Amino acid sequence: MFKAIVSADTLRDTLDSVSVLVDECKIHLNDDGIEIRAVDPANVGMVDLTLSADAFESYEADGGLIGVDLSRLEDIAGMADAGQLVQLELDEETRKLHIQIEGLEYTLALIDPDSIRQEPDLPDLDLPAQVVVEGADIDRAVRAADMVSDHIALGVDAENERFYVDAEGDTDDVHLELEREDLIDLEAGDARSLFSLDYLKDMNKAFPKDAEVTLELGEEFPVKMHFDFAEGLGSVTFMLAPRIQSN
Amino acid sequence: MRLDDYVEGLKPDEEYERRKLAAEKSYAITDYLDDARASFEAVKQGDSLYGATAPSVFVGRSSYPNVSAGILSPVAEESEADPDDYATSGAWYERGLGIDNVLQYRTGLLNSRRSADVNVEDVWDGFVGTQREVAIADRPVDVEIGLASTPDFDPDQYAQPTANAPSGPNASVDSADLTENPHVPRAVEKTLEDDDWRAQGAMVYLYEHGLDVYDVNRVLSVGALGQGENRRLVPTRWSITAVDDTVGQYLRGQIRDAPSVDGVEVRLNEYMGNRYWVVLAPGHWEFELVEMKSPGSVWNPDPGGDVWMAAASEGYEGRSGYVEETAGAYYAARLGVLEHLAERGRQAKALVLREVSDDYWAPVGVWQVRESVRHAFEREAADAETLHGAVRDLAEHLPVSLGDLRRKSTMVAGLQTGLSDWA
Repeated sequence: MFKAIVSADTLRDTLDSVSVLVDECKIHLNDDGIEIRAVDPANVGMVDLTLSADAFESYEADGGLIGVDLSRLEDIAGMADAGQLVQLELDEETRKLHIQIEGLEYTLALIDPDSIRQEPDLPDLDLPAQVVVEGADIDRAVRAADMVSDHIALGVDAENERFYVDAEGDTDDVHLELEREDLIDLEAGDARSLFSLDYLKDMNKAFPKDAEVTLELGEEFPVKMHFDFAEGLGSVTFMLAPRIQSN
Repeated sequence: MRLDDYVEGLKPDEEYERRKLAAEKSYAITDYLDDARASFEAVKQGDSLYGATAPSVFVGRSSYPNVSAGILSPVAEESEADPDDYATSGAWYERGLGIDNVLQYRTGLLNSRRSADVNVEDVWDGFVGTQREVAIADRPVDVEIGLASTPDFDPDQYAQPTANAPSGPNASVDSADLTENPHVPRAVEKTLEDDDWRAQGAMVYLYEHGLDVYDVNRVLSVGALGQGENRRLVPTRWSITAVDDTVGQYLRGQIRDAPSVDGVEVRLNEYMGNRYWVVLAPGHWEFELVEMKSPGSVWNPDPGGDVWMAAASEGYEGRSGYVEETAGAYYAARLGVLEHLAERGRQAKALVLREVSDDYWAPVGVWQVRESVRHAFEREAADAETLHGAVRDLAEHLPVSLGDLRRKSTMVAGLQTGLSDWA
């Protein structure tokens, strides 16, 4: 059983963080909140999201699992004005999700969870460097890099306590450096990895521009990018596999 | 075979000589026009009715959607050549045609054309109908063409033979009628008759039923495929790319879940002043074509200039945008790679490096890329430990530095890993 009321903003933030990577996903309806974990078809990018029951106006669930078409659900959530409430209720018999927004009723057909790509195991990574930056700084770096290249290097210079971003194009380069005082926090360790901008641009769309994002980096290793939403009651971790030179 | 043994024969000095060789060549395509002009004098002077054996068709792209629809036929008066030889196909590679041979075929092919609206749903009679019959037949078709003008070459095309493959003379036509019943393959009849069948699916069906992309291209370009209301004449240049792309996507789908190649494989093929390094490496599908066009080659005519580089790539799920820099060569090269992988039932990361030397003095068309890559796989492969190791070893045989290559090439900059590689 699942019955919940949530603000349209929180619902949209939740869906947007997942839909940048996949078109459909499984949602775990746990008793203490919802959890979504999904990996893109190429197995390059992954998202791990939790939203606590406390982020909802009301929440009742007992551990069910549903599969949803994200763009459908986003369209429906888009019908609500900011601040409006969205009521969600699962009909166990018909396997449909009843959605109500101020008198508007929408019945959404669900997808068989078994038909959705299997959820990935979380790689257990020991990453030497951690950087906490404003989401807006990542946005600026990604947009600048996109002007010259289709890949971007993220690195930490441990000795000089710097976080840096490099993009090399055919003729033009982009370089951005943030010193310790420009950063919210830094755990310095040598790190540098190259990433596809296609993926990072998509993930960047989900980053809050006015809040902090934590990056964990290594040498030719995946990056973990973490941020909170819904006033700290929601949490998103993206993981992105690098493009590497060593094979 | 190890990669360093494989490339041992390629001494830098010889390569330099090879690049210099073209200096002695005549660059005038107009030389070929004289022969062609002589052979169609007869056509010009004679009756306006002209009997021809047409192996192919052409659809122009200027002033779309009012395009020029043409029937191609050899003009040689007493030609001993088989008209079929004039149609572009993989056989041109197998017969080892050089640039000059191709230009002879091309300039010896009369394009009898008239303007036509691209919307050809249910248009069966008249010129467009005859053109369609020629295109769907699997052998050259006898037609009687009523010329409205004397054939002539388009002088602009030969003044600057740059991006377009040269073609023969053009003539306007009043009429074109079949003088025989064309032989049409069963599979083509099936796709022609079914006007509820989307073009992409029909193209793949024809390919799977033994038509090569050259044949599928002809059928597509005359508007003989697709759902009824979508049937259009498709300019030849666009339809070549559409077929390469569509068949490529189909083959890519076939290898989506296939196991990877086991190791790095490097192959080399050379044809018509083009050298292709085809490198396969283990992992999920990824593809890139990098073109290096030497100074003095056809698209980079300044002999004192820099090597001109172009690149385009795709990841496991393909690409969404058109390939601005490499255009149709990208899809032609990708098709050659995918055909090989699908046949082996493997997937791979594939990097194709194309070096265009100044021996390549006139563009012959994208078929040259397709066939060169296809036939590269008949060659024995050299092994290498890693793709990047292989590229480092190849770099000394390339006309650009490793640094420049890394800047231009997404795959040389870094190969995409998957998260499961780190689990």
